[in-house]
Amino acid sequence: MAFFLETLLGGLMAGMLYSLVALGFVLIFKASGVFNFAQGAMVLFAALTMARFAEWFPMWTGISNPVLANTVAFLIAGAVMFVVAWLIERLVLRHLVNQEGATLLMATLGITYFLEGLGQTIFGSDIYKIDVGMPKEPVFVLESMFEGGVLVNQEDVIAAVIAAALVALLSVFFQKTVTGRALRAVADDHQAAQSIGIPLNRIWVVVWCVAGVVALVAGMIWGSKLGVQFSLATVALRALPVVILGGLTSVPGAIIGGLVIGVGEKLSEVFLGPYVGGGIEIWFAYVLALVFLLFRPQGLFGEKIIDRV
Amino acid sequence: MKQRPLGDVILDVQNISLSFGGVKALTDISFNVREHEIRAIIGPNGAGKSSMLNCINGVYTPQHGTITFRGQTFHHMNSRQVAEMGVARTFQNLALFKGMSVLDNIMSGRNLKIRSNLLMQALRIGPAEQEEIRHREQVERIIDFLEIQAHRKTPVGQLPYGLQKRVDLGRALAMEPQVLLLDEPMAGMNVEEKQDMCRFVLDINDEFGTTVVLIEHDMGVVMDISDRVVVLDYGKKIGDGTPDEVRNNPEVISAYLGTSH
Amino acid sequence: MFYRENGQFKTSYKADQQIFPIAQDRWIIVALIVFAFAGVPLLASDYMFRAILIPFLIFSLAAVGVNILVGYCGQISLGSGAFMAVGAYGAYNAFVRIPDMPLIPALIVGGLCATAFGILFGLPSLRVKGLYLAVATLAAQFFSDWMFLRIKWFTNDSPSGSVSVSNLQVFGLDIENPLSKYLFCLGILVVVALLAKNLVRGAIGREWMAIRDMDVAAAVIGIRPMYAKLSAFAVSSFIVGVAGALWGFIYLGSWEPAAFSVDQSFKLLFMVIIGGMGSIMGSFFGAAFIVVLPILLNQLLPLMGELVGLEISTAGISHAELMIFGALIVWFLIVEPHGLAKLWSIGKQKLRLWPFPH
Repeated sequence: MAFFLETLLGGLMAGMLYSLVALGFVLIFKASGVFNFAQGAMVLFAALTMARFAEWFPMWTGISNPVLANTVAFLIAGAVMFVVAWLIERLVLRHLVNQEGATLLMATLGITYFLEGLGQTIFGSDIYKIDVGMPKEPVFVLESMFEGGVLVNQEDVIAAVIAAALVALLSVFFQKTVTGRALRAVADDHQAAQSIGIPLNRIWVVVWCVAGVVALVAGMIWGSKLGVQFSLATVALRALPVVILGGLTSVPGAIIGGLVIGVGEKLSEVFLGPYVGGGIEIWFAYVLALVFLLFRPQGLFGEKIIDRV
Repeated sequence: MKQRPLGDVILDVQNISLSFGGVKALTDISFNVREHEIRAIIGPNGAGKSSMLNCINGVYTPQHGTITFRGQTFHHMNSRQVAEMGVARTFQNLALFKGMSVLDNIMSGRNLKIRSNLLMQALRIGPAEQEEIRHREQVERIIDFLEIQAHRKTPVGQLPYGLQKRVDLGRALAMEPQVLLLDEPMAGMNVEEKQDMCRFVLDINDEFGTTVVLIEHDMGVVMDISDRVVVLDYGKKIGDGTPDEVRNNPEVISAYLGTSH
Repeated sequence: MFYRENGQFKTSYKADQQIFPIAQDRWIIVALIVFAFAGVPLLASDYMFRAILIPFLIFSLAAVGVNILVGYCGQISLGSGAFMAVGAYGAYNAFVRIPDMPLIPALIVGGLCATAFGILFGLPSLRVKGLYLAVATLAAQFFSDWMFLRIKWFTNDSPSGSVSVSNLQVFGLDIENPLSKYLFCLGILVVVALLAKNLVRGAIGREWMAIRDMDVAAAVIGIRPMYAKLSAFAVSSFIVGVAGALWGFIYLGSWEPAAFSVDQSFKLLFMVIIGGMGSIMGSFFGAAFIVVLPILLNQLLPLMGELVGLEISTAGISHAELMIFGALIVWFLIVEPHGLAKLWSIGKQKLRLWPFPH
């Protein structure tokens, strides 16, 4: 039983990380109808920026306070992501305004490749560390209920807390602020929003900036856990099924979808895997998404997709 | 004067009700269409006219009611079945295949009549080639009829609106339909274009005996060319009869012009 | 001046409908094919065969297949790598397990396996499109990755996980040296490309394009979306499967599942985008582009680096490749979404008028 709980908790934590990446997808899709395949590359780029600047800061300034280095690196990375967002809107999105979804999807694929190449050219392609001081040792909890206790990763818990805080912040942003309202208007209908004076281009820059910050947080957490390396970009591919499950237009869907997939992957690997040769993690999420696509394409919380003749 | 007298009822719509969530598009609509006639459906915007055609075509499935075509009754129509039974239509918003040329668009209307299978088409020998040519001849006759020869290789997306509407009509004609559903075929046209389109519709009805069900806003056109008229308003039927009868129906007048209180 | 069609009047529909209606085009194509079969072998080195020509031929074949699905029928597929894998392993198993199995039937068996796989994973296209369909095809990709890694039967219980073939023969002739490999692939490519072109200009091609452009209207004129979409998946995956089998048998010789990973899928999609969606000729352009570009960069970048005094490592070149790819994709999508094929036909238009400006 304790083992099951451990697997479950591990799955939940992993799921939280997926949710963070999925959140970026949902944000951009909600506001602009564009599915941003490049979210994974953005996570990588942000993480690389932060990791390297945290490394370089002490070298350039001689101050060796890790907290200061990390904070400065975080801020610089945030600024860089803003610039990236602005450039993407200026150079790519603006010119593809009326194109169909497939074209935009492929454009973001192109951006993915570009960012991956750029990131590695500027920052190098080794594995880098992000050390934000998260405790690495696991702890045993619930020792009173289960003998020996349940093994839990402190880092994961903190990551979950950060993710939850981010989601709360974003919800407040969307519901309560003027910009948030404008974003929701744009998501509903570009033209109508434009006609009441909402500046489409600026909104999109804002959205991509927010997504960039989300990518940064995700990159920081993933990078702290796994080290910042090229495979981080494939995180986008891991998070795609999450948005299908949760619904492309739903923020809570991204969270719940991530948790479901995280838990599902772990549980299926541990309990089903041995029967079919193991390693089913690579397709479990996708096949689950496939099943949803066949029976409920809008996911758990998304809006129904309607075609008008 | 019509060459053919009106025949028996070919299409009978009985008690059709259609709603989308809470919105009632059609409520208990019944009317019939006789063979070889030109039947107009009129009504203010949002009255449910296109939805009615969509039900006949199998694009929407009504919650209640039946449709009887040539004696066979259906609760819901399947698009392919309807097409096979000889019902073709044009669209209000021009559902043309933008990536293809005029010729290919109209040729696509012949697809129900293509007999050669995938392998034969790949090899393109003998029978497959002959069939392509036969269908091409038919389509060329339609292109002649609609006077769009000069544009046959042009991608439809590049044509002006009036010509695109003709291609839409051509594609429907390519199916050699018995019943032609036209959804606002003259929308957005100037007087000359409308006259051309009227001429086409009358010719189709005269020469081929095609029954025409026509949604149209231009009252002059409707009164001139239709045999009988159905009037819809807010999803309900408020008039049904010859153009003269409908013109003098007080409910119809108030639906269009409003009443004074 | 040279490219005018004056005097070329078509007097039959058959003449009007042929693949290359302009006589000059026909001569050029014939000349090209003759050159490919007879001229290139005399001029090309072994390196050119191995590094450029054979990959170009096989990728062109795969790109034709992907173009049918993505370009003509409008169904986004990110699972082409999986179809190549199924084709390769299907052919491998037929070749190795059935005694005296000749090469071409083995390739066809591989293609048919890919067809079955394609139809199965094409079923979601009946329910969803666009991004959602892309996700479904990714499911095919990852599932196939796992299948060939973990299910030992597929790899003939090979301990290392990789398989290999040797002693390839066609009609008693060895195809072990680069020249004969090139000719073999060329022959298959020409035949399949011709069949594909016939399909896309015929009735089924129009059905595919109708589904791509407006599937509701297509249903109303009597096209069955299910038949059209699944036939596109079937034909496309057959061609891609055969290409995969050729990739494994002819180009690689021995391979493991990673040879057909999701990167291949992206590569093929890029070929189709850059080359031109909905154009058989575009598939060739796209394949040529993607095959030649890395080689070009490999030569050019170090030179350019020297000019500015920068030393560029091989890693640097591959990163630059990624950047240039990405930038080009975006550039093409903005400037000419119909790809190189459209640029080519615009060029031909200008050539028809030359030397007059309009």
